[in-house]
Amino acid sequence: MDLKKTHIYAYHAEHGNIVDFGGYALPVWFKGIIPEHHAVRNGVGIFDTSHMGRTFAKGSEVVKFLNWVVTNDVSRLGAMEGLYTVMLKPDAGIVDDLITYKMSEEEFFIVYNAANREKDFAWLKENSGGFDVELRDVSDEIAMIAVQGPKAEETLQRITEDDLSEVGRFNLARLTVSGYKCMAARTGYTGEDGFEVFVLDCSLERPEKALKVWSGLLEAGAVPVGLGARDSLRMEAGLNLYGNDITEEINPLEARLRWVVKFKKEGGFIGREVLQGVREAGVDRSQVGIQVVGRGIPRQHYEILDEAGERVIGEVTSGGMAPTLGYGIAIGYVPRELRKIGTPVKIRIRSRLVDGKIVKSHPFYDDSVYGWKREK
Amino acid sequence: MMGEEYKIPDGLLYTEEHEWVRVEGDGTVTIGVTDYAQKQLHEIVYVELPDVEADVEQMSVVGAVESVKAVSDLNCPVSGAVLEVNDELLDSPELINEDPYGEGWIAKLRPSDLDGDKVRLMDAESYGKHVAEQGH
Repeated sequence: MDLKKTHIYAYHAEHGNIVDFGGYALPVWFKGIIPEHHAVRNGVGIFDTSHMGRTFAKGSEVVKFLNWVVTNDVSRLGAMEGLYTVMLKPDAGIVDDLITYKMSEEEFFIVYNAANREKDFAWLKENSGGFDVELRDVSDEIAMIAVQGPKAEETLQRITEDDLSEVGRFNLARLTVSGYKCMAARTGYTGEDGFEVFVLDCSLERPEKALKVWSGLLEAGAVPVGLGARDSLRMEAGLNLYGNDITEEINPLEARLRWVVKFKKEGGFIGREVLQGVREAGVDRSQVGIQVVGRGIPRQHYEILDEAGERVIGEVTSGGMAPTLGYGIAIGYVPRELRKIGTPVKIRIRSRLVDGKIVKSHPFYDDSVYGWKREK
Repeated sequence: MMGEEYKIPDGLLYTEEHEWVRVEGDGTVTIGVTDYAQKQLHEIVYVELPDVEADVEQMSVVGAVESVKAVSDLNCPVSGAVLEVNDELLDSPELINEDPYGEGWIAKLRPSDLDGDKVRLMDAESYGKHVAEQGH
């Protein structure tokens, strides 16, 4: 099977350990998952995220349209501001999580998951009927590189003249990076400060600009990071992975995404009616973070049991060793009445029942020590 | 990973699932996972050791070796009784990466039917061919 390649593929082929990631040839690691993980938590790493979906939405009714398809309220955005949101099916199951950036009153830039590229674009298109809005999938015309870690700003600053200190969290800026026109958003998927750089007008056939920005960042001191550490970093930060922690079978209230749902916004949104019902009745299950207290590493689909180990109460949706913390962590779902922090649980790891407890997981680490809120 | 070299010492016996067996002078055996297995897993962060004193069947799952991303079952290459496990691996699972045939050994067993078990084991040459066929 022919794997799809990103703009940075030429570098990966030479330096990375490439795997098939949802049909894309991408590096799972360059030097190793653990050193790459620590590089981002303590310094700066760069990720090729060009496989993600990117769409421009343009038209006089773009705000009205987006507010109908997503749960958050895009009408409160100023120019060059973005927000995290989800879009729902009518039954309130999550179609995807995404970030929408307002470029101007009539133009938005939407970034969503690689695995959902076709599905999301089709969903947006399908639901745009009746709105004056045009959608353009630019995923293959714009490369995307994430620069993440406490040293992200100073590193990216070395290859741009524009002042990055003026770019606030979740804001978008137009920059010239390594001499090329880019946009950069102060966002990421690691829990750390950083930027997602969009290299504009860069086709898959002519990826030189993206490769130039990538090598510029390496020369500025960034460590190349693969998908392995991308997953362990986002898990430690308690960030959802679509397909694992959120799916079309899970609604945002169960997934602790109440904060991205604006029930009162004008015009409503797809899925609102059902979600309102869930809200009134209360959720049956709730997403939690679990710290393994005993020995072992929880993995996706492992069973979560009650303290006595007698009753299966849920399932791990993401799990692994947390390199920053040195123990196993999991994201999973348990009945609402068991979601309280401190609740002891068991996780079945093969034939053994291992002790765990429900902990604060947004993030799992101490955010005064790690992550973008850390004390400087 | 193409063209990568894997250490496959002569004198050991191997399974298709990338475990090795060394028959010791006193009739016991030592088992572990191969250089190929550790390179595939890469950074090993956790080892679940077999239960000491357990009686195990050949190719039954007696533990696991885990990297950040992946879990690999540990299949016992021989039937017998587990005499001892390498406790060092609890604190230093990376010993398997560093020295898979030495300090990264996993368990010692008293085999119950070594001659019978050998039918399902390979010598270094056959195992080398088996590894060369992987992943292409």
